[in-house]
Amino acid sequence: MNKQYLLKKILQAIFTTFVVLVFNYFLFRVLPGNSLQMIMRNPKASAEAIEKTRILFGLNDAWYVQFYVYFKNLLSGDFGLSFLYKEPVLHVIASRIIPTVIMVGIAQIIAIVVGIFLGVVAAWRRGTKIDVVALSISLITYSMPTFWLGIVLISVFSVSLHLFPTSGMQTPGKSFDSSLEFIKDVALHLFLPVITLSLVLIGEYAITMRNSLLDVLTEDYMLTAKAKGFSDNYILKKHAIPNAMLPMITIIAINLGTIIAGTIQIETVFSWPGLGRLMYESLKNRDYPLLQGIFLLVTICVIIANLIADLAYSYIDPRVKQ
Amino acid sequence: MKIKQKNFLVIILVVLMTFSMTMTASAEDVQKNSMRIGVTKEIDSLSPFISYSSMGFEAFMLLYNPLVGVDENLNSTPALATEWSLSDDQLVWTFKLRDDVKWSDGEPLTSDDVKFTYDLITKSGLGLYSGYLKGITSVDCPDDYTVVITTEEPKANMLLNSTPILPKHIWADVKEADLETWGNDTPVGTGPFKFGEYKKGEYLKLVVNEDYYGTKPSIDELVFVLYANTDVMTQALKLGEIDAATNMAPAQLEQLKGEKNIDAISGVGYGFTQLSFNSSNDPASKGNKLLLDKNIKKAIEFSMDKKKILDMVYGGQGTEGTTLVPPDGFYHYDPSADEMRAYDVKKANELLDSSGYKDSDGDGIREDKNGNKLSFVFSLRSENAQEDNAGQMIASMAKEVGINLNIELIDDGVLIDKIYSSDFDMFIWGWGTDLDPTTILAVMSTDQIGNLSDCNYSNKEYDNLLKVQQSKMDKNERQKVVWDMQKMIYEDAPYIILMYDNNLQAVKNDKWTNWKSIPQDGGYFFNLTNYNYLNVKPAGEAVSTQGGINTDSEKSNSGLIVLIAAIVLAVLYFVFKKKK
Repeated sequence: MNKQYLLKKILQAIFTTFVVLVFNYFLFRVLPGNSLQMIMRNPKASAEAIEKTRILFGLNDAWYVQFYVYFKNLLSGDFGLSFLYKEPVLHVIASRIIPTVIMVGIAQIIAIVVGIFLGVVAAWRRGTKIDVVALSISLITYSMPTFWLGIVLISVFSVSLHLFPTSGMQTPGKSFDSSLEFIKDVALHLFLPVITLSLVLIGEYAITMRNSLLDVLTEDYMLTAKAKGFSDNYILKKHAIPNAMLPMITIIAINLGTIIAGTIQIETVFSWPGLGRLMYESLKNRDYPLLQGIFLLVTICVIIANLIADLAYSYIDPRVKQ
Repeated sequence: MKIKQKNFLVIILVVLMTFSMTMTASAEDVQKNSMRIGVTKEIDSLSPFISYSSMGFEAFMLLYNPLVGVDENLNSTPALATEWSLSDDQLVWTFKLRDDVKWSDGEPLTSDDVKFTYDLITKSGLGLYSGYLKGITSVDCPDDYTVVITTEEPKANMLLNSTPILPKHIWADVKEADLETWGNDTPVGTGPFKFGEYKKGEYLKLVVNEDYYGTKPSIDELVFVLYANTDVMTQALKLGEIDAATNMAPAQLEQLKGEKNIDAISGVGYGFTQLSFNSSNDPASKGNKLLLDKNIKKAIEFSMDKKKILDMVYGGQGTEGTTLVPPDGFYHYDPSADEMRAYDVKKANELLDSSGYKDSDGDGIREDKNGNKLSFVFSLRSENAQEDNAGQMIASMAKEVGINLNIELIDDGVLIDKIYSSDFDMFIWGWGTDLDPTTILAVMSTDQIGNLSDCNYSNKEYDNLLKVQQSKMDKNERQKVVWDMQKMIYEDAPYIILMYDNNLQAVKNDKWTNWKSIPQDGGYFFNLTNYNYLNVKPAGEAVSTQGGINTDSEKSNSGLIVLIAAIVLAVLYFVFKKKK
């Protein structure tokens, strides 16, 4: 791969990140609502306390001063203090990142594997009963409301069958004798949220894969390959699927980028301590520093994911070489 | 394509085996007596200088102690102070402290800690407790176990002050500038519980203080579990994943009513929901000036069928509202039969007629003599569905008497901006109150305009009475003044109190017993006391908690897995078989 091409792409990514940062900064400040009044709407909060907190967060400074201070600190890795928790933003985010990444990561992997498999099966056997079944399953899961699906799964698997706990990431307050115990506990708690998210995503991946593969199967070179006498499975594996993967890569990249933010519903239903819920709470409380921190994270993820997709594309598809 | 087939089967088998391993989870009995309470709002900080949440307030009552506590009847009872006396001029309080109290790190508690705490909280003005210490001019320690507090004026709420006493040897090292950010991550206190673990967004765990000076609680482990969804929380309670649930919705309470082993109550609480009218006398205020006529506000209250709203929107859980201080206390004022504005459409119409508001153009909306329509903007908070529904009902009831309320659903942030720029007519919101009536009475004072006041009410006489009642040491005298204040508010009607909110809570009585509603009809938790935490007993011998997973059915679990595996393998086999 061309070094120049890589460098150009990385610079573009950095520039985009910066633009988004500035845009987000002003976007949040334009939102109506005064952060401190919302957090401290408590008859016991004294006027001095509110004033002191304003000073702490520099809210009395002119807007350009606040802007300057924020970006200066950002460059030295200081993301500011959360209005609600009065803790460094990085600290708050760090404690919630791993639950999100674990849950979404596993769900995405399952969804990708099963989705592709389903799509391939459906496309290869287009028109048959298998195709109809696979397509129906995909459409149904794709259109199911996440929240509803989560509650249904809890209702069936937790309440009726007692197989899994209803919510949370671990049994609250329990101390574990070994890491294996802990992992088992988390795994049990992971199961339902992961299944919920996977089901929702499978539909999307299956349908895309199916359509993409159908397109490829109508190409001339597929007929050529068959004429050459290759077995069906060989054609599928070596010719059809690689070509059909291109749109899939785009979709996967986009989805991986939004890993962080896209799970508010699931995190609410399962009380999963992830970034989605944190984002919602900080929005409600107008906790700007925290919001900016999370959005920055999402921005970076999306940009990196797209960067990787771009590069993967040019690697897989010789036609796109720069 | 045999290799591909084999690959798939191997992957599936590995996944299934891993899961079956996790399925046979060891029975997670926590041998200690543990209590798990489901809550919907988590604690924002473990520092009493930073936290403004109700969860924080509750936790500090368990980790720390005040000088004087409250018993189950809301009467003052000794806590860190064993006895106290007041000088003849009512300005000097002498408290005798216990001499057997240790901090959770082993250091002894002395009067220095009390002086340090009070001085620091007063100086910094931060946190939920600084208001309680207003009026204290000095705190002195003649000896290790005596504290002498001098006040400027007689201080009526001295004994109602729940300020937690903090350890000087920990907090003295915190620079004053850092008080606003130092998280107090491992609190050291004297309370019946010690800090265990805090996982943000998940739970707060406290463990019993083995060296507590008072009766040790029977709860060994107390965990407040955060739920983002109350439906799931209710299910978790039914399953036994938690032993108690708080802050539920009326529908969930209904669900639990029939369940055996669960006590579900609608406890009278300390908060209310109100309609707030822009009562600003400032000519620059953007609120509709017609609302300054209290007869319009009174008429709206006459037109409101509060009972119907309570039944339809809140499932009947709550009490119809009247005056500012909620009824479960000594200071509540019950309007007399003449003063009372009960639901009476006829009276509403009469009042509006006699105040000069007639509907001259027949459009159903009254106007004043200058033709200004009685049409107001009614802001409702979009995030609270119940308030929205109540608002709809209120608007249609007001329509009946010729007042038009234009509903706008807005977000909290927008509403707050409107309040602070006095650019609103009326809205619905609520307040939580306190043992000390001063807390809620103060919201209506003139100096809270621009700060806590959300109706811009200003009445010099009221402000004066606010100061007077703070110095009335005689409870009955104080009550009289507080009653006069409530009468004023009721008469001027900057608020219409829709209802006194109930705390909907439920507990499993097969695990823990001896629950008490505090005060008579109140809730079990978040009731301004820590009574239940200290007094519940295990039902039967030491009870172990299992997390909702039926570990007896290990066999059925594995069986299920094997079945699923078999089905999946069979399906795969057929799918691959057809491919040729």
